Amino acid sequence: MNWLFLAQAETPEYNFWNGAPGSPALLTKVVIALLVGIGIMIALMFAPTRLRRPLVALATFVAGGFWMASTFWPTAPDAVTEGRNASEKVAIFLKDVTSVVADFSNVLTAFLLGLGIYSIVSVHGKRILKRQQDWSFSVVLFASIVLMAIFGYADWMDEQNRTAAVTALSPGFWNRGRDLLFDGMLQNMDAAMFSLIAFFILSAAYRAFRIRSVESTILLSTALIVMLSLMGVVVSAWDGLAGDFAGGNLKLSEISKFINSNLQTPGIQAVKFGLGIATLAMAMRIWLSLERGGLNS
Amino acid sequence: MDYSFIKLTVGLIATIGLYSILYRENKFYRLTEHIFVGLAAGWSLVALWTVTLKDMWWSKMMGAEASETSGVVAGYWPYVFLLPIGLMGYFVFNRKHSWMSRIPIGIILGLVVGQEAGAWLKRDLPQIEAAMKPIVPNTEVGFFVPTDPVAGALYPSQMLGNIIFLTTMLTVLSYFLFSFDFKTKFMQKSTLTGRWLLMIGFGAIFGNTVMTRFTLLIDRMYFVWIEWLIQGVFKMG
Amino acid sequence: MATNDPTPRSFGQRLQSLSRQTVYLILIIVVSASVLISKFMGLTLPNKPGAGSQDFFAAIMAIPEGSTVFIQSDVTNSTRGESAGQFEALLRILMRRNIKFAVFCASGEPQAPQVAIDVIARINAQRIANGERAYERWNDWVSLGLFPDGRATAKAMMANLRTAIDKKDTPPGKPPTDVWQSPVMEKLKVIDDIGLYILVTASKTSDILVERLKFAPVTYGDVPLRTKLGCMVTGVMGPETNNYYRSSQIFGVVIGLNGAVEIEHLMENGIKPGQSETYRSLSIEGFKGMQNYARGMAYYLALHTAMGLLIVLVIMGNVGMWLTRRQTGGGA
Repeated sequence: MNWLFLAQAETPEYNFWNGAPGSPALLTKVVIALLVGIGIMIALMFAPTRLRRPLVALATFVAGGFWMASTFWPTAPDAVTEGRNASEKVAIFLKDVTSVVADFSNVLTAFLLGLGIYSIVSVHGKRILKRQQDWSFSVVLFASIVLMAIFGYADWMDEQNRTAAVTALSPGFWNRGRDLLFDGMLQNMDAAMFSLIAFFILSAAYRAFRIRSVESTILLSTALIVMLSLMGVVVSAWDGLAGDFAGGNLKLSEISKFINSNLQTPGIQAVKFGLGIATLAMAMRIWLSLERGGLNS
Repeated sequence: MDYSFIKLTVGLIATIGLYSILYRENKFYRLTEHIFVGLAAGWSLVALWTVTLKDMWWSKMMGAEASETSGVVAGYWPYVFLLPIGLMGYFVFNRKHSWMSRIPIGIILGLVVGQEAGAWLKRDLPQIEAAMKPIVPNTEVGFFVPTDPVAGALYPSQMLGNIIFLTTMLTVLSYFLFSFDFKTKFMQKSTLTGRWLLMIGFGAIFGNTVMTRFTLLIDRMYFVWIEWLIQGVFKMG
Repeated sequence: MATNDPTPRSFGQRLQSLSRQTVYLILIIVVSASVLISKFMGLTLPNKPGAGSQDFFAAIMAIPEGSTVFIQSDVTNSTRGESAGQFEALLRILMRRNIKFAVFCASGEPQAPQVAIDVIARINAQRIANGERAYERWNDWVSLGLFPDGRATAKAMMANLRTAIDKKDTPPGKPPTDVWQSPVMEKLKVIDDIGLYILVTASKTSDILVERLKFAPVTYGDVPLRTKLGCMVTGVMGPETNNYYRSSQIFGVVIGLNGAVEIEHLMENGIKPGQSETYRSLSIEGFKGMQNYARGMAYYLALHTAMGLLIVLVIMGNVGMWLTRRQTGGGA
């Protein structure tokens, strides 16, 4: 079987797995498959409790198993497109289906990203229905969702049909609305919201950054040198004063480079080595469903 | 009043709304915050379809008729199975059937953790290789590295740097060996040194974090004073 | 409460007791004044580019004209202060060198693709105002949209670039079309056909790419590269990403606002022989006479004063603590 069948590398001949766009045959297959999928979903709702954990474990194992196999299975030479033996055939199969698995993964992730929106709608919907405190703000939130969705989709639809000449003449009503909401409001709010941290970091540093121990002294001194080294004027003045004294090694740029190369890099590297091993161990536990709680609770 | 100024002013009001929290909790902030969350959620709805699902799911499932730029593209019905699998994720809010949400989440987790072994090899092995630094100098011409160094030479100052590098790495690693109870004085000193040296890394991270956070604020002030006031109101620069 | 305390506060206590709002106000005043002074005086502050930025600049100045660069832009305006300055400088260089590029987001950031498109539009408008050629969507650059799962996408690109990217973009005056028909993409067959792969990020997506992408070593002009992956990251991500640069897993790294200023400095002054730590004899002309100093330099003075303020306040707090301790016999 050609496993590129889902990747659409080239227009294939019609077969069981596909159909002509808009054809009754394709629509029928889509509807039947959807009904089968929904049927399985409904059946799962009545699945016995003892089957639940193995089902989740199987899904996790199969999904992870593909990438484990693709990592550790010996690869075929690039020039080989038709496997000459079983090992090469498997290797080519794994390579071919990678983009299909990536597609599935992207689509599934996109579906699950909608969970956040669903959660917001659910929380604020309840607040409006029960007339809880500040429910009017929730109405504003809903209005914002709807407005952005309408202008966003309308602009996109408009863009599909507009020609460049028309767009150059006038950006259009939907585009203006989308631009005002996205670039004028959302993007400025995004920037403003995250910039608030600057105030908190300054206030916290003023209140809490005290030289009370060896650790805090080292941390504060390094932070000071790093901050000074990020200020071009200070670097220029300091380097000018230090000149070539002690082989030029007392220049601020050299001191910060030394800290960066010989202290900061190995320190962070050691932390990341530890994290790497721990992540690998945790990944294996999750893949094999050995982890208690979470998926296996 | 032209459109670009209206857009700038809307951005200014939004910025002031969110900044009002710095004084104290207030209704203006709450209003702006809710608009922010609403617009972000609304845009996610748009983007998930227009720049992801439309091309990666719908078009592949339903195919495409011939157009002036491309021929007929066949539709592949198996893509439809992703919909019920994705929908199962939404059972997380249903108390009775919430276990079903673990199937798509398990698949996503499996797809992530399955890559971790290969990822670890590609990420950490070159790092380990880079950490193997020479500690025996092979030149006696001066202590510091000259402005025109001999290729392949290791100067005594570099040797010292490399020793500090390795000491830092090994002592910090020893600090993270939680599985054993170290009784020897050497190891106790090593973990203590590791903790101190680790603080240098954290200090550098703090310094860089301060740069990021302040830059975000600077950007807002630039927007308010330069983009809105100077360029928008006074039409200068 | 401190305000109702009848006991007069000592100097040490006063040094430590600025109210939250006062600290905020001082910060706003200092930053606002710096931004305005920088604008009106047209200040160009000194800067000494580090090795990471030099190598990054050397690589993008060395790739042959007409190559295609992949730009994975995972940033939104939440980090506009740093990321926009870096991204704008990158775009200016690529456009001036007639390098084609494909821009996309490979993380769960639905806003990122539109943010990138808006930045490109802004730079294009500046080019048109300066009498330069407009960079045309589809012929000079394409948008590949959003790939929510960056891990799987990177793996798929390694396995088969053509099937990993199945997206449409809009040619001028035509309906959305398969991006592989675009002049930007049509010559690419495998991942090594990409000129450079540049990541602009505020998160750990650099880890994801380092863990998955592998490029054959290549030499562009006088610049040998062990990989085609380079990163522009925020200051927060700087120290971690810097480790990948130190181990040659990325060809260069631009960190935070300071990195943006470094790139602008290099655009203005180029690299003279002996200046590059990695390539000692390398010589690269900058873009003298063009608008090189932009957002990075506009913010640089304010970075100095804001950091200076933090240092002053931390010193104030510590002196206050020391004075109070001395007064109370070490009990404070």
